[in-house]
Amino acid sequence: MSIEDTTGQGVTITQSGQQGAFGGELLTINFGPHHPSTHGVLRLIVDLDGEKVKRVKPVIGYLHTGIEKQMEALRWQQGVVCTDRHDYLSPPINNLAYALAVERLMGVEVPPRAQALRVIMSELTRLSSHLVWLGTSGIELGAMSVLMYCFRERDTIMDMNEEISGFRMHTSYIRPGGVMADATPRFFDLLAKFLREMPGHIDEYEDLLTMNPIWRARTIGIGRLAPEVAKVVGASGPMIRGSGIAWDLRKVMPYSGYENYDFEVATNDGCDCYARYLVRIQEMRESVKILAQAVDRLPDGPVNVDDRKMLPPPREELETSMEAVIHHFKLFTEGYSVPPGDVYVAVESGRGENGCYISSDGTHKPRRVKFRSASFVNLQALERMALDHMVADLVAIIGTADTVLGDVDR
Amino acid sequence: MIAEELITDKGVSAGDEWITVAAPRLREALAALKEDGYRLLVFLSCVDHLADSSREWPARFELLYELRDMEKLRDLRVRAFVDGDPPQIDSVHGHPALTRILMPDDWVGHPLRRDYPVGGEPVEFSEEHETWLTPPTEA
Repeated sequence: MSIEDTTGQGVTITQSGQQGAFGGELLTINFGPHHPSTHGVLRLIVDLDGEKVKRVKPVIGYLHTGIEKQMEALRWQQGVVCTDRHDYLSPPINNLAYALAVERLMGVEVPPRAQALRVIMSELTRLSSHLVWLGTSGIELGAMSVLMYCFRERDTIMDMNEEISGFRMHTSYIRPGGVMADATPRFFDLLAKFLREMPGHIDEYEDLLTMNPIWRARTIGIGRLAPEVAKVVGASGPMIRGSGIAWDLRKVMPYSGYENYDFEVATNDGCDCYARYLVRIQEMRESVKILAQAVDRLPDGPVNVDDRKMLPPPREELETSMEAVIHHFKLFTEGYSVPPGDVYVAVESGRGENGCYISSDGTHKPRRVKFRSASFVNLQALERMALDHMVADLVAIIGTADTVLGDVDR
Repeated sequence: MIAEELITDKGVSAGDEWITVAAPRLREALAALKEDGYRLLVFLSCVDHLADSSREWPARFELLYELRDMEKLRDLRVRAFVDGDPPQIDSVHGHPALTRILMPDDWVGHPLRRDYPVGGEPVEFSEEHETWLTPPTEA
């Protein structure tokens, strides 16, 4: 028997004919892709026994933009703009994965100041990504006011993005060979003010949620992800750390000088939605710590590699040097070529391991670029977390998995 | 450790260790590596080496399995080369629910192949779109 009924809310109900535990039939429903709590366009095919979730099958691809294919048609330095756009909540971290991969293939290392600026931008991005997560998760579970607080601070981070790169979201600030430009004095003023205020703001979020009985009731014991399961499905980021495994690429496989900073890997043994919330809150505090250290110890010097074959010459040289003009012309008509070979570089984004695999055939465009996105892999754990929970808990579970659909579908 | 006869080639590319295994024995090789500690599949991907003259390629498609040993903190890339139309690999034989992941089920063609044009696909729900859905053999 199959009855199809569109409820007018984008939900199609089919009665599958299977028997549930209480004698009723299992209902198969579409959860999304236009459901507001699915963070974009995630579609789940859910089997329900009454209110209990019996099966979750994610159907993805609704935000597939072909970014990997597009990058094959762009020159190496142009590809950066695509990396901004797949995980749209952490553009500089994706820039960094791509830039590090290209640099590894070319065998160049960026100067210390560029490395520190990259760390600063990565940590600011992690903060802004966690703030969006916290605000939207709050709304989904009925804590409406958290979003206003979170977006207030996120906006100051956007202001800093604008100051340093000219763009609020898709900064393209970190590029192969260094960064776009050195940070301005005003950027450091904004950052210093932000660092003074942020610990107090994180306390505010905690005041709103950590001991809030409704928040605790909706998250404690919900969406259990056992450590061994987290490992099997390849979960990373706060998902695996919320299951008590201290796995953070900034610690275990440091890049861009992260080994020089003193910070803790936030973990929690709770394995549930509340544990993942606490991990993210702790990570925000650690990010503030890293930022303070990075600003304190920011080395002087250039912010780009001194390689005219890879980066354009300074503007003033163009007026006096013929060679500079030739380099400039070659770079913007043909681009540079990267030696044949392939490389995989993984960085820790707000969601986990965001890696970039590049295969080069020695030409001025990549042969293949692949993004290993944390959201895509973390989504695999969804069914195991959601089984036997209520539909309303499914919303909390999707929320704390913190998937960005642009990152899942690329 | 994985038996030497399974490995047809090995090396280091930009600091990443890799091995190539014979495609028909891929399953065996990956099982042995899993036993050896490489328990995490970081990603699985494929590179199309159509008209790639940078070096001699054993076949058109190169499959990549990036493996990680989370205890000993080491990565290993396993390559396997396949040809044919459609190209087939041992690791998906007997897969219970083999389906497209990102593209719609009814999509014709494989956009990540090099002979699939960038920008070649017309906008969905437009007039051209209907003609695109016709397989080239029937058009």
